[in-house]
Amino acid sequence: MKRSGFLLGAVSGLTVVGSMDNLFAHALAQAPLPGLPGGSDRVLVLVNLQGGNDGLNCVVPHGDDMYYRMRPTLGIPKGDVLGINGQIGFNPQMKSFKALYDKGIVAVVQGVGYPDPDHSHFRSTEIWQTAAPGRYERTGWLGRYLDEAGLPKTNLFNGVAISQVLPEAMIARNTDVPAIPQINGYGLVGDRNKNVSSGYASILTDKRLPFSSPYLSHVMEIEDHAQKGSQELPKLIAGYKSSGSYPATPIGRSLALAAQIIGSKIGTRVLYVQHGSFDTHVNQKGTQDRLLGELSNAIAAFYDDLSAHGNDRSVLTMTFSEFGRRVGENASRGTDHGEASPLFLVGGGVKGGIYGNSPDLNKLNMGNLAFNTDFRSVYATVLEKWLGRPSQPILAGSFATLNAIA
Amino acid sequence: MRTALAPYRGPWNSRVAAHLMRRAGFGASPQEINSLLSSTMRESVEALIHFPSTQNLPGPDNVFDPYSQGLLQRGYGQMGMDENARRARAKELRRSAVQSVGAMQNWWLNRMLATPAPLQEKMTVFFHGHFTTAAIQKQNWPIFIYNQNQLYRDHALGNLRDLALAVSKDPAMLIYLDNALNNKAHPNENYARELMELFTLGHGNYSEADIRESARAFTGWTLNRRTGQFVDYAAIHDDELKHFLGQSGNFRGADIVNIIFSQPSCRRWFASRLLNFFVYNDPEPQLVEAVARLLRKNDYNLAPVLSVLFQSNVFYSDRAYRALVKSPVEFVVGSYKLYGVGQIDQLAQRSLASMGQILFYPPNVAGWPGGSAWLTSQMVIARENFAAALVNSQMMSQASWLMSVPTNAQQATRQLIATILAGDASAAATAKIKDYLNGVNTSALGQLSGENYEERVRGAAYLTMAMPAYQLN
Repeated sequence: MKRSGFLLGAVSGLTVVGSMDNLFAHALAQAPLPGLPGGSDRVLVLVNLQGGNDGLNCVVPHGDDMYYRMRPTLGIPKGDVLGINGQIGFNPQMKSFKALYDKGIVAVVQGVGYPDPDHSHFRSTEIWQTAAPGRYERTGWLGRYLDEAGLPKTNLFNGVAISQVLPEAMIARNTDVPAIPQINGYGLVGDRNKNVSSGYASILTDKRLPFSSPYLSHVMEIEDHAQKGSQELPKLIAGYKSSGSYPATPIGRSLALAAQIIGSKIGTRVLYVQHGSFDTHVNQKGTQDRLLGELSNAIAAFYDDLSAHGNDRSVLTMTFSEFGRRVGENASRGTDHGEASPLFLVGGGVKGGIYGNSPDLNKLNMGNLAFNTDFRSVYATVLEKWLGRPSQPILAGSFATLNAIA
Repeated sequence: MRTALAPYRGPWNSRVAAHLMRRAGFGASPQEINSLLSSTMRESVEALIHFPSTQNLPGPDNVFDPYSQGLLQRGYGQMGMDENARRARAKELRRSAVQSVGAMQNWWLNRMLATPAPLQEKMTVFFHGHFTTAAIQKQNWPIFIYNQNQLYRDHALGNLRDLALAVSKDPAMLIYLDNALNNKAHPNENYARELMELFTLGHGNYSEADIRESARAFTGWTLNRRTGQFVDYAAIHDDELKHFLGQSGNFRGADIVNIIFSQPSCRRWFASRLLNFFVYNDPEPQLVEAVARLLRKNDYNLAPVLSVLFQSNVFYSDRAYRALVKSPVEFVVGSYKLYGVGQIDQLAQRSLASMGQILFYPPNVAGWPGGSAWLTSQMVIARENFAAALVNSQMMSQASWLMSVPTNAQQATRQLIATILAGDASAAATAKIKDYLNGVNTSALGQLSGENYEERVRGAAYLTMAMPAYQLN
């Protein structure tokens, strides 16, 4: 992956510790970008429900007898479903999420997918992350957004992935997105080692080496960014006091850190968090119920925290999963890889309600739900109506937007 | 490309020997490099391939096995046991299992460090990331994981088809990809899909129908619930006609493996995986094709194929040199080896977790993605923290070469760059190391001397390990 050397160019020969502070002072002094149609302080938080979330037991079609016929053991009894209307309702574990829905800040987009669905986790995840069904694209859709949104190039935190591995959605040509699983342990340990490296950072910038490697530029850039970023980020967000009572779960901790980064106003526009695994081939109920409960409670705490700091209207959260699951349950009280499934948009800027059509259980495609909303329509909605960028260049095509954002 | 696999006839020196040992093993100490230089490249490769028996090396202590200890028969879900007692028992089993896997990680890292057969361990790491299986989840007990690890070691340079068949019957795999639950009434496609997509053919070289049909063929390969051993259970096997990859018959699992291995895409898949692991990423299609032909000629036997590869022009080419990103395991084990430290301690396991590679817990069935995925800011910081902790630890008293570099800063620098980086540093970076040793730009301490020697040398070793070349393999 080609990554640009813009920062190396800007600060090459950085041997004095002081210039690092200048760099960040400069980044922080950047005024919010004027004149963006989407507003300048808006943030997108992407929540990946990794492994293939079973849409039918998440947004339950309790009004459809066919659902109960095809899910003899996994079907959620009508009386337990948190009803949205006479036809559909949320999984019983999603009480706090239902409360957000009742407040009118949740859009449920039904039947989301793409043509010729792929049943492989890896390929389907790649398709969602690169927004490129039918071809292999090396950058992610948010990476392309970060590259072309005109964000300050000196800011190392335009996008932040709260994950161990950098997700494909955030891979860009000209923007390096830090992947940070948690803030504790992010940084060089020991003052002496910090002094040793910062004083001699220029060893990372001289490219006249007695060998060539396709990874050389990337290694140099990431080491440089990592050293600077890890010294600065904890300081930049240290002043934030969390106001949410987050559950002690990985997704709770990830969203708490997201709220802290957002509330510290360091110019971050997109964040990515992971939740899962939803790959419930066996004994689905226990696993999926737990994961949906954790998701629901973490998102509720996240919006409490954001509201307490006056940030709830400027943060849009979007969930996605690589596919839904097979309609008929398997012999192991689980479900196999499927196709269309719902996703959620949450936030003060959302027009709450149901979008897209509930999938038709009588018109299955080899046992799978057919999609009726292309996921790229949802992306186009987020890009144009929330982030204020034209979606066509990022998605390599025109997709109708939904009305889900005020 | 025509001569890519022809024997390499270039120089054989410490830089080239270090390259071979980083790729085919886990690096080498300066003494090991020196002893390689007293033989030829060809002899060095043959010694890696025809390694001495490792049967007598110790296994891990007390691998947790709830079957042999009778823990699963008595009490686990037993009638009359109340819910709280059942939960407490499950928690206890899990705790023992997690502890046991931790001990196995430490054992394996030490085996990588000390084995007289580094290529055998390297191939075991390769297969662990290829035929992936994760411990603990789905009650994949340590004993299953250890037996699978040993299976990979036993087949390290053996036949790929035999290994794929053995993997298809391996309890850890039967559990991890659910074939243990695959029965004719309700086929479970998980194993059939990943077998083709990730293990043998690659995406796009089979259809959804091939997945469904081969899943039927694998029905009945499951576990004996009492013993935890593989069993071929005829009562749940789908004993009917199947259509698979253009052939029809009443296929069973072994037939599916044989048909898969007769596909040209299978040879190409393994050729590409081996080139990506040992030579460079995104190999040219012609090179993949050449290695695929080699696999075919040798009927998927790895020893002759790897022998050609490790003696080839392409393996020693500029294109291949430092062209891979070190995996965390290569980074950590290689560092202990570099300094001649005899025992891998807890620092290694802690560090590997923050670098993103925890043995026996791959992130998913595709294994560790590798390449630039190893280079996120968090992981790079973790590498530097590990290097700093290692060079500042007591263990460095075993690093005799480091503790005896010359007190002349110029000579000390030359030795550090030669030994740690095989000379792969820029002139400017080399000058910085010398400046650091001499205390340039720091307060008061002055030239390298007996008084500040040890601290400065350790600091300089750390800086050298932070250089770009050290991140690359």
